[in-house]
Amino acid sequence: MRTRHTLAVLAVASLGLVAACSGGGDITDSGSATTAGSGSTDSTVADTSGATTSAESTTSVAVDSLPDCPTDALASASGTVEINFWHGMSGPLNDELVKLADAYNASQTKVKVSLVQGSYEDTADNYFAASQGDRPDVVQLPEYQVQAMTDTASIVPVGKCIESSGFDTSAFLPTALAAYATSGVQWAMPFNISNPVLFYNKKVFTAAGLDPNTPPKSLDELRSMSKKIVDSGAAKFGLALESGFDSGGGWYVEQWFAKAQEFYVDGDNGRTGRATKVLFNDQTGVDLLTFLQGMLNDKTAVNVGDNSQSGYDNLLKLADQTEPAAMTINTSASLGPVLQVLGTGQFPNINADDVGVGPMPGPDGKPGMLIGGASLYVVDSGDDVRTAAAWDFITYLVGAQQQSEWAAATGYVPNRTDALTLDPYKTTVAKDPRFAVAYQQLVDTPDVPTSAGPVVGPLREVRTVLANAVASVFNGTDPKTALDKAAAQSNGLIADYNARN
Amino acid sequence: MKRRLRDVPWAIAMLLPSIALVAVWTIYPLVKAIQFGHLTCDVTGKKCRDVGWGRYWDVFTSTQFQHSLGVSLKLMLLTVPTGLVLGIGLAVLADKHLRGIGIFRTIFSSTVATSVAVASLVWFVLLQPQIGVLADVFSGWFPVLKNPGLLNDPGTALLAVAFSSIWANLGFTFIIITAALQSVPRDLYESAYVDGAGSTRRFTNVTLPMIAPTLLFVGVVLTTRALQTYGEIALLTSGGPNPEKPTTTIPYLIYGRTSLIHTDLGTKSAAAVLLFLLSLVLALVQFRGLEKRVHYGS
Repeated sequence: MRTRHTLAVLAVASLGLVAACSGGGDITDSGSATTAGSGSTDSTVADTSGATTSAESTTSVAVDSLPDCPTDALASASGTVEINFWHGMSGPLNDELVKLADAYNASQTKVKVSLVQGSYEDTADNYFAASQGDRPDVVQLPEYQVQAMTDTASIVPVGKCIESSGFDTSAFLPTALAAYATSGVQWAMPFNISNPVLFYNKKVFTAAGLDPNTPPKSLDELRSMSKKIVDSGAAKFGLALESGFDSGGGWYVEQWFAKAQEFYVDGDNGRTGRATKVLFNDQTGVDLLTFLQGMLNDKTAVNVGDNSQSGYDNLLKLADQTEPAAMTINTSASLGPVLQVLGTGQFPNINADDVGVGPMPGPDGKPGMLIGGASLYVVDSGDDVRTAAAWDFITYLVGAQQQSEWAAATGYVPNRTDALTLDPYKTTVAKDPRFAVAYQQLVDTPDVPTSAGPVVGPLREVRTVLANAVASVFNGTDPKTALDKAAAQSNGLIADYNARN
Repeated sequence: MKRRLRDVPWAIAMLLPSIALVAVWTIYPLVKAIQFGHLTCDVTGKKCRDVGWGRYWDVFTSTQFQHSLGVSLKLMLLTVPTGLVLGIGLAVLADKHLRGIGIFRTIFSSTVATSVAVASLVWFVLLQPQIGVLADVFSGWFPVLKNPGLLNDPGTALLAVAFSSIWANLGFTFIIITAALQSVPRDLYESAYVDGAGSTRRFTNVTLPMIAPTLLFVGVVLTTRALQTYGEIALLTSGGPNPEKPTTTIPYLIYGRTSLIHTDLGTKSAAAVLLFLLSLVLALVQFRGLEKRVHYGS
């Protein structure tokens, strides 16, 4: 008995040792050696076993082969059509969405919508795993899911609904629509939009002799102003940086590429053909990370680490009592909560009125922003009436009045220009112009192909990989080395995804 | 014999509810996961093709899995012995017939009513480097609390997570061990006392052997919990800080927010099955290794 268990322990220990010695590939490559027919187990990140498969299943979608959207079917429906809506809004955002849905249900008798709430991730997971009969009729998913959603072949493109119902989209922001379109197909309807803006402490600007109403527009200004702030002693740091994958380590880099009018992945950001590799390790990417590293090196910026944990570590750095920073970049969606928290007056060095908001500074100070947030998909239930009902509900949620209410209550950006002329959003913006900054930088975005962000299957994973590289650059790794490594791993992920889908 | 046979249908009927539950919620998912482990699937998990059982070996030997295996084992070594010792210590302290001892027992066991999420959030707020209380008060002595913060420093992040985990599990350990202590017959202590055994001797020769089965149970549970640590990681560090990822445990590698295999059903399942095998082997080793030394009483 004794010897047997001793043997077991030894066996386990030696197994661990063997494994530790055998080098090991990347976990995302596991199983691919078999499919590729290559005997190499050390294929690691650059493995492109899926490249050939993906080449076949690429590019232009045959619009005719996609399901139709018979929007007139609702008129012939007898009784009330019950539909389900899965969404990813939580907390106060959920409350607002429930309000809108209740108002919709009360406004007519044809359709009754029921809401199912989860996080974006849970909603996506549940949606992907569900079989056709279990799927909702409308689903809200974030911008990084476009490729995956088209690959499920389970949706009615809203473009078909727009066409068949003659829905007027002229008031919508073109960039908002473009964010959810590939190869000429409008897949989803933008609903809640946010983008990153610059938050800064006006009191520090004044103390440093800067104009508190003129935030930096270009990266050079960002650096020179930071230097002035640090030199004057107005604050310990100019800029608080972080490397979260949903923010400074991933999403903002995509934004910076858009500002530089460069594509982030091939296939024109996956918009004209299926993306097969990332482009972020080009000169634009290297210059950008070298710049940020430089600011950390000369102590005009401070790294608060991976922000994906709380989403507000960088903002709190502005409220830090001993070593504050004067500026940071964060999503516009946090403006409401920030003003609310600072309004309590618990932070002596910054209160709600001291917060300045400016456009996100970019390479040349040029405007340009990608759409963040989420969109609404019509799910192909195979039932014309339910499809029509789903579309009817979506047109309500993206209506001018509803967008005005939604934006005023949440801090999201309205997806259409006419929402600005309607109350309550009109009053909100008039009272506090800081709420209009995120909207304005979208309106100012040039209508060029690079203004539609990257569409690639594993975009979330690519962000995670890049965030890792950004974190190591912040710790001192050479930007080119870090980006090349991240690009190789990302390309492996994309090849694997394309081979599977 | 005949009687026994007659009891069989009854036995089955009585066991059926449990069997059904275990089959639906444990066996079926397990079999599914093992199957998925050698498949590669599209996003919906419906169109799959076989990549062979070699996938398991690929996953096991991959850099990320080996790293997470190390993290999980480290976390286990940090939390299980400390948790056990602290649990025994507090239980022995509170195992006295004193006025007001109930208050202390309540305090010691209070964390059992605290979910992992709540415990983690409490520590997260306390440890917050910019405005957290601990950073404000102690950063003079421990600059790491402020710059970059205990959870943001690759050297201290896992320790901080382990600390939070130990704290959160202490209530459970305390309650179980207290119950075991109270079931030790008092006359054993009395006879040991009569025989001249001091308090240390009574603890090592009476208490420990008598509560050994409970310690084995608590040890196995704590080990399994340590290997399955997910909530603390998700709420405290997201597996970071990057790029070292010193807190990416195996469960976090499998389905954390920053997981690279999160949407890859096949690889994810293979990794999960490997985690199951690891827990199984460790539990077996614990039972095999300690069973002989454990006295279950008569």
